[in-house]
Amino acid sequence: MASAVLLLLIFRLVWLQLVEGDKLRAEAQEIRMRDVPVEAKRGIIFDCKGNELTSSVSVDSAYAFPPQIKDEDRRQTADKIAYALDMDKEDVYKKLTQNVGFVWLKRRLDRESAQNLKELKLDGVALVEENKRFYRQESLAAHVLGFAGDDNQGLTGLESVYDHELKGKPGRIVIEQDALGDDIPKAMHKYIPPVPGNNLVLTIDQNIQFFVERELDHIVEKHQPKLAVIIVMNPKTGEILAMGNRPTFAPGDWRQYPQSIWDRNPSVWYTYEPGSTFKIITAAAALEEGAVRTSDTFYDPGSIKVADRNIRCWYDGGHGSQTFEEVCQNSCNPGFVTVGLRLGKDKFYKYISAFGFTRKTGICLSGEEIGLQIPQNEVTDLNIATMSIGQSIAVTPIQLVTAAAAVANGGVLLKPILVKAITDPDGKEIKEFKPEEVRQVISENTAKTLMSLLTGVVQKGSGKNAFVDGYGAAGKTGTAQVVERGGYVSGKYVASFMGYAPADDPQIAALVMVAEPTGSEYFGSQVAAPAFKAVAQDTLRYLQVPERPQVEKPKLPFVYEQPKLKVTVPNLEHFPAEEAKNILLNTGFVVQSRGDGTIVGSQVPKGGVQVTDGTTVILELRLLEPGEDNEPTVPDLRGLTIKEAGGILEKLGLHIKPLGTGFAFAQQSLPGSRVAKGTTITVEFKEERERSGQ
Amino acid sequence: MRQKKKSPDFVLFLIVMSLLSLGVVMVFSASEYSTMVNYNDSFHYFKQQLAWALLGLVAMFIMVRYDYWRLKRYILPIIIIAFVLLVMVLIPGIGREVNDARRWIDLGLLRFAPAELVKLCIIIFTAYGLSQQKGRINNFNGILPYLIVMVLAAGLILLQPDLGTAMSLACIVLIMLFAAGARMAHLGSMAVAGIVAIGFAIALEPYRMRRFLAFLDPWADPLDTGFHTIQGLYAIGSGGLFGLGLGQSKQKFLYLPENHTDFIFAIIGEELGFIGASLVILLFALFIWRGLKIAVTSTDPFASLLATGITAWVGIQAVINIGGVTGSLPVTGITLPFISYGGTSLLLTMIGVGVLLNISRFTAAR
Repeated sequence: MASAVLLLLIFRLVWLQLVEGDKLRAEAQEIRMRDVPVEAKRGIIFDCKGNELTSSVSVDSAYAFPPQIKDEDRRQTADKIAYALDMDKEDVYKKLTQNVGFVWLKRRLDRESAQNLKELKLDGVALVEENKRFYRQESLAAHVLGFAGDDNQGLTGLESVYDHELKGKPGRIVIEQDALGDDIPKAMHKYIPPVPGNNLVLTIDQNIQFFVERELDHIVEKHQPKLAVIIVMNPKTGEILAMGNRPTFAPGDWRQYPQSIWDRNPSVWYTYEPGSTFKIITAAAALEEGAVRTSDTFYDPGSIKVADRNIRCWYDGGHGSQTFEEVCQNSCNPGFVTVGLRLGKDKFYKYISAFGFTRKTGICLSGEEIGLQIPQNEVTDLNIATMSIGQSIAVTPIQLVTAAAAVANGGVLLKPILVKAITDPDGKEIKEFKPEEVRQVISENTAKTLMSLLTGVVQKGSGKNAFVDGYGAAGKTGTAQVVERGGYVSGKYVASFMGYAPADDPQIAALVMVAEPTGSEYFGSQVAAPAFKAVAQDTLRYLQVPERPQVEKPKLPFVYEQPKLKVTVPNLEHFPAEEAKNILLNTGFVVQSRGDGTIVGSQVPKGGVQVTDGTTVILELRLLEPGEDNEPTVPDLRGLTIKEAGGILEKLGLHIKPLGTGFAFAQQSLPGSRVAKGTTITVEFKEERERSGQ
Repeated sequence: MRQKKKSPDFVLFLIVMSLLSLGVVMVFSASEYSTMVNYNDSFHYFKQQLAWALLGLVAMFIMVRYDYWRLKRYILPIIIIAFVLLVMVLIPGIGREVNDARRWIDLGLLRFAPAELVKLCIIIFTAYGLSQQKGRINNFNGILPYLIVMVLAAGLILLQPDLGTAMSLACIVLIMLFAAGARMAHLGSMAVAGIVAIGFAIALEPYRMRRFLAFLDPWADPLDTGFHTIQGLYAIGSGGLFGLGLGQSKQKFLYLPENHTDFIFAIIGEELGFIGASLVILLFALFIWRGLKIAVTSTDPFASLLATGITAWVGIQAVINIGGVTGSLPVTGITLPFISYGGTSLLLTMIGVGVLLNISRFTAAR
């Protein structure tokens, strides 16, 4: 029996030593090894001309092997290190007493600290070469490049998306040591050299990017917007030549900026109603489907009624009779609404999808959004009407510029590319990114027609400020109200210009988008078009595109007939104070109230006066007059909704009998008259009032 | 009726000499680094082990010449000494506490672990007692006194606490009872009682439970209860077929604790590989074979039972130790006979071997 047990033990040895032996030996070896990591050199990011946008420089980092420092020396060693590296003594001591085999003391030292530490020659303390990322042009193309963290790991932008290419493979210095961390006799020493990372060659051109950054700075200086984006694309290849955002940051110093600035790229993330720039898409679809011809005539009386709602033209009184060409130049809302309704929802949605608005563009940046559309099976005629003028639909800047490039290049939607090639550390090309056609969206003929229409917009219409000297341009302005929590916010706009140049053989397509400019100017033609002009002008000259002598300059600069919306001040006399304030705030006025009391006594300006949007209305409050609590004064209810009017009468102790729907235009008891409490007042309502775009 | 003395069993002698010399060499190889770190002397343990080995050899030769039956005269003092030692070791001040266990008696210059002496004493006592029982062996009352003595001794050992030694002592006595012809029913019920007792002992002390479970899956708790076993397995596994070569162990660099005592077999496995380690197991198998052969061919029942007891002593320790080191059994702290570092244990094992060799001189030719 004893022999049988011993035989079993021999079988156990066979298992442990002959079957599992290699695995156990490798594991034991791994445990005995102490590692000193050797960081790989991170790849360089070049622009398309071979200029370094970011590269890595070698710096020293200090580390310690705590077990190698004798207990009795720890204090002293910590003090010396703290002095040399300008650190806190206690912090260093804590690091040295940690129960670990390896600890970083301080990363990325300046030259002097490194020298100090070297001279101390402390046991168990050493330096290793690491990389410091160096962004040569500070914040140039910051959102595109992103940045890498302390451990050579890309955190945002291309640094993050292509981290696997850029980071390389870290090397190791491996030393076999005893359990206490001392080198052992006949120890294994191995140096595994790091493999440097690959380089990226971008489609970005440093110079064009510079023009973009410069114009963005101008925009920020002049309009202090919430956000601004300029994207320049080569419409023939889909290559992004420049992509700039505001607010921006310096990648080398990213910790100094709030996360909301560096963690997302507005060019691919910001979703907004494009407004009139989207009319290009409406026009493209309608022309391609034969729903409109340039010579078709339209009559604009100043508004158009769609499903009980009036959609007003931005131009009070309307553009009158005009051809489709003029509709484009005038950016006439009723004209485009008519075209959109003629096109119909199925065809309209077909082109919204074909132009890429229902999908991500697939650009190699993280955080891309898709935009928003009303689902096709829920869409109403009113929705189609507003979508025709770029409302009730939300898109991203990159989607819009990609669609513009398709219009510019003869109708082919391209995938936007940002990285041209990946090269190895010796500069040899490993991978090339070729232009990718997604689909033909519109025919070349339609594109040509659009080109002449959009050239007209810049030559004669609302886009005159975008005219590029010597080259001309084709494009469209846009001014849209900002949507927040399901409603339009008065006084907040997105101004944009989308276009391409030269019109006859487009070399660049670009979008300038300025969200929520704060100055007096907020129209796309004022805020965005001039930036397009400046970027296009410099870029085309830089690209040595020959000038077009035949292109004529627009005769007159574009005149802003209506810089602000004209609105009528409501008559609020005898209104309860709170209700009066709410009505003013809801219709875009600024309110100031004076005096004590619950009733509006008088107001400045008076009711019925025409003023611009955002004017301050001062309310003089008064107390109830004798007997007024039993016999209230009837206010002027005109312009109010049934709900508003009812609420106010209720508050005064009166009742309402509404006739019709919409907004009040007549009332039984005249404003200012006194009636007995509990009286029912008949009020007549009708449809009126509408919002408009440019 | 005294037979003419033959020469002692030469094969057994060779086996013991092989294991002993291998042990001295391996104690040096295993301990040279840790003693260099702790005592600044690579030869610290080696010198002591060598001295004890020589002393053991002398003691063995003396016992070869000292005829075993004379031991019968000292049965009473022998059993008294055993119990006195077991009680003494528990008394604070006399018994020295190491790692929460009192297993050592401090004798000034050297520390003395009475466990091995107690084992030898109990073996002699039990062999004598059972040999006097003749026909009453299959009567439970006939074996009861020896069981009581064994249980008392094992109980005192458990108080140290030393579960491994108590278990091995119980196994030795059970094997001797079996050899004496006790009924299987009695042995079986005793084995069940023993297992129940061990179960209690484990359940009472949480550390035993953890250790017990650790051998089933050492990787479940690699830094604490499984640590020792894992480091041992790393050593053995690293050896492969031929081993890393004598003196080439890597696990001895403070990774494997107790590498010169309880876990010396792991270092053998690492340095000498499967060939060396299985050779050691084979030597123990041969030892058991020669020991049992002596027991069987001996004409005197006392000699026969004594030989059985000594052989069981060595064999069981070898199995428990190697089983523990290879992760096949719980780790108990039982040393590997002839090989593990430990002066008194080695000396007493050598005395036991001397007695065994002496018995071999009185065997009938077969």
